[in-house]
Amino acid sequence: MIPRPDADSEDRVIFLRDAKFTYESGVEALKGVTLVIDKGEYLAVVGGNGSGKTTLAKHLNGLLRPTGGQVLVMGVQASTRTVAELARVVGYVFQNPDHQLFCRTVHDEVSFGPANIGLDGPEVKRRADRAIAVMNLSDIRDRPPLSLTLGLRRRVSIASVIAMEPQVLVLDEPTTGLDAREADELMAIIRRLNDEGTTIVLITHEMKLVAEHANRVVVMMDGKVVLDSDTRGAFSDLGLLRRSKLLPPPVTQLAHRLSQIGVSKDILTPQELVFELTRGDDQ
Amino acid sequence: MQALTLKDVRFRYPGMSEWALDIPSLEIQQGEFVTVLGPNGAGKTTLSLLANGLVPKSIKGEFEGSVEVFEHPAPKYTVSQLSTLVGMVFQEPESQLFCMSAEEEVAFGPENLAVPRDEISRRVEWALDLVGLKGLNDRSPFTLSGGQKQRLAIAAALSMKPSMLVLDEPAYALDPMGRIELYSILSDLKAKHGMTVIVMERDAEDLVEYSDRFVLMANGRVTASGPPREMLVDPGALRAAGVSPPQMAEVASLINLRRKAPPLRFLTVDEAFAEITINTHHHSKGASH
Amino acid sequence: MTGFLDLYSEKDTFLHRLDPRVKLLAVALISVLAFILTELLYLVVLLCFILLLLVLARSSYGKAFFALKFVVRFMILITLLWPLFDRSGAPVLFSIGPLDITEPAVWRGATSAVRVGCFATLWYILMFTTSQRDLVRALVKLGLRFDYGLALAISFRFIPTFGLTIESIKDAQRARALELDKGSILRRSRNYVSILVPTIVYALRTADTLALTLQSRAYGAFSNRTYLREIRMRASDYVAMTVVVLILLLPALAKYIYGVQI
Repeated sequence: MIPRPDADSEDRVIFLRDAKFTYESGVEALKGVTLVIDKGEYLAVVGGNGSGKTTLAKHLNGLLRPTGGQVLVMGVQASTRTVAELARVVGYVFQNPDHQLFCRTVHDEVSFGPANIGLDGPEVKRRADRAIAVMNLSDIRDRPPLSLTLGLRRRVSIASVIAMEPQVLVLDEPTTGLDAREADELMAIIRRLNDEGTTIVLITHEMKLVAEHANRVVVMMDGKVVLDSDTRGAFSDLGLLRRSKLLPPPVTQLAHRLSQIGVSKDILTPQELVFELTRGDDQ
Repeated sequence: MQALTLKDVRFRYPGMSEWALDIPSLEIQQGEFVTVLGPNGAGKTTLSLLANGLVPKSIKGEFEGSVEVFEHPAPKYTVSQLSTLVGMVFQEPESQLFCMSAEEEVAFGPENLAVPRDEISRRVEWALDLVGLKGLNDRSPFTLSGGQKQRLAIAAALSMKPSMLVLDEPAYALDPMGRIELYSILSDLKAKHGMTVIVMERDAEDLVEYSDRFVLMANGRVTASGPPREMLVDPGALRAAGVSPPQMAEVASLINLRRKAPPLRFLTVDEAFAEITINTHHHSKGASH
Repeated sequence: MTGFLDLYSEKDTFLHRLDPRVKLLAVALISVLAFILTELLYLVVLLCFILLLLVLARSSYGKAFFALKFVVRFMILITLLWPLFDRSGAPVLFSIGPLDITEPAVWRGATSAVRVGCFATLWYILMFTTSQRDLVRALVKLGLRFDYGLALAISFRFIPTFGLTIESIKDAQRARALELDKGSILRRSRNYVSILVPTIVYALRTADTLALTLQSRAYGAFSNRTYLREIRMRASDYVAMTVVVLILLLPALAKYIYGVQI
């Protein structure tokens, strides 16, 4: 689907039109990507290492500038805005929280962004307090961020970005290193942010995570978008996922094998599969 | 022979009130592939560092109990000596490779052990081949992919000819393909070379097929231990223990909840496919057209 | 940003094959020669010889251009600035305000510039043709303690990793609307703290794992550790060494024994 540039852009928060990016080394990381992200979406950008997914993500807040094509953020050419200006609209949470944390307290850390965008004292405080509450960090607001566990450090780093109250939140592998409970807690908070209207762009190679959370999946391979579909559709082509160096979750693999006995291929969770399998038994 | 024997082991980091490890007994047999599962903070890293003496020799703290490595009492040996029995691989691929070429990385251990040059040369080729990095002798570790880095770290341990490998969340920073390659190499090492393998992990999924035994840890203690089929079939219990269950175990337990027939107990996609196609009849009609 | 560290390229020339110790010796002796030569003409001849070596080293145009750009800029700078500070001698060519520019000073400036060009190009040839690991091996072989050699090798190895990490830290903070060079001095120094602290944390964590890794690889187990690769002098290395010694010795003899003005 090629989006029409003249289409109604009320709900369009991000629009990449044939965006290309070549690193100084000559590596073509984006070979013409067209992508529209609408307000309120929960989008997963997936692909193996070197597929271009991180390069793509860094275009959304201007950390990288396209060497060809265009990036529009809220209808405005991103090239006319600084990263600091774009940060008010597009929050980007890096994979490693330790690349961000440097303050003495969680509260200071979370206030850094809002202060940088020039808000006044009371507003900085209001936003920091809110972000701390959203990320369930109120009990540890005065603790030094670097002394916290990885799960909490990651939550602080997300709080420090959402304190700027961006409309779009880009998360790069947010569950790396987290255990099951920490990951579940974090993903629940992100789900809530999405429910409240924040557009989520999840950069990941964990297909289980994608199956459970995303509404839409963009598969990247070799600097190109090779698939852009709703989540169910993305899981029905195992060959494509494998070629993209992605590993479909076991339950999807099983569903595909069971398709010979009539199970549908677009199963995302164990619950769905079991529902299909046992439908007949209940009658 | 037992590869690793812990008896009444307790270890406490300086200034902490809780024991980081409190293990009355843990035995790992030679040639076993053991996955230690537990949430962050369960004590997996501390346990792994115990195996070659880094805890308590290098990382000091309050230590009691006995640790035997291949029936040698660990306290009597230096970390260097134990390293010829136990190869260590850490989480971060980047910070455990410090040489300017893959070959130097693998040669470093045997060089320190004053192994003769010809023998080092043979070991380097052997180890690089085992981990699938043959021919990359001169590549800078910096230019390798994450998965290749971890495999190089394994080769660097293998060249000291250990009988056991201990890996602390080696797949931490890897993508799915990197993880699969890594674990299948470990599985080969066990199958073809009789290597004892201990992997610390948070997630059971990738290791279901390879592990002889799962050891569950929480709060520095071993809470359960047994073969995959015993340990992983109860997803609820695993979740309560803070680790994510294999998806197939979830499927099986959900099916079992809805059926009165004898419970299904599969853990892998292959097993699931076999059992479901045998046990489920109502869909076979659909298959005929 | 790693331009200066990424000079070596894998090639098969006699300069690449030469024992790194001979190359270090050559750099030292030819530098001494450049130092004792005082006549511009001879220095230019020497520079031409060194540039010929650079061609023989078959470094890529990109790298050679990158390197020579700095050398040439530096040489121009010296040529232009020297007469401003050295005002001895006569005749005065012209005056800029209170500054007299004398003819001997101009020549001396040019001479110094060529001399510096010789030093710098020699170093570049060494870096173009010698891998960092050979350099470290040569230093260890020449008597540097293995610990220091290892420390040096580890620093070389981690420089690109550190570069990438610092870039990532900068990006992570820019994503929080950090603008490094904006605001008052106080604000700016605080801005840099936001880069510095994560960098230090990263360095400490890396060092921790590194220490554990070194111990796990039996570092320091025996004082008589062996080496997989030994650098060994071959016949061609001895020939090259002799040639290098003669290149210094003959002009030195001419100058200091026979009093030839060179």
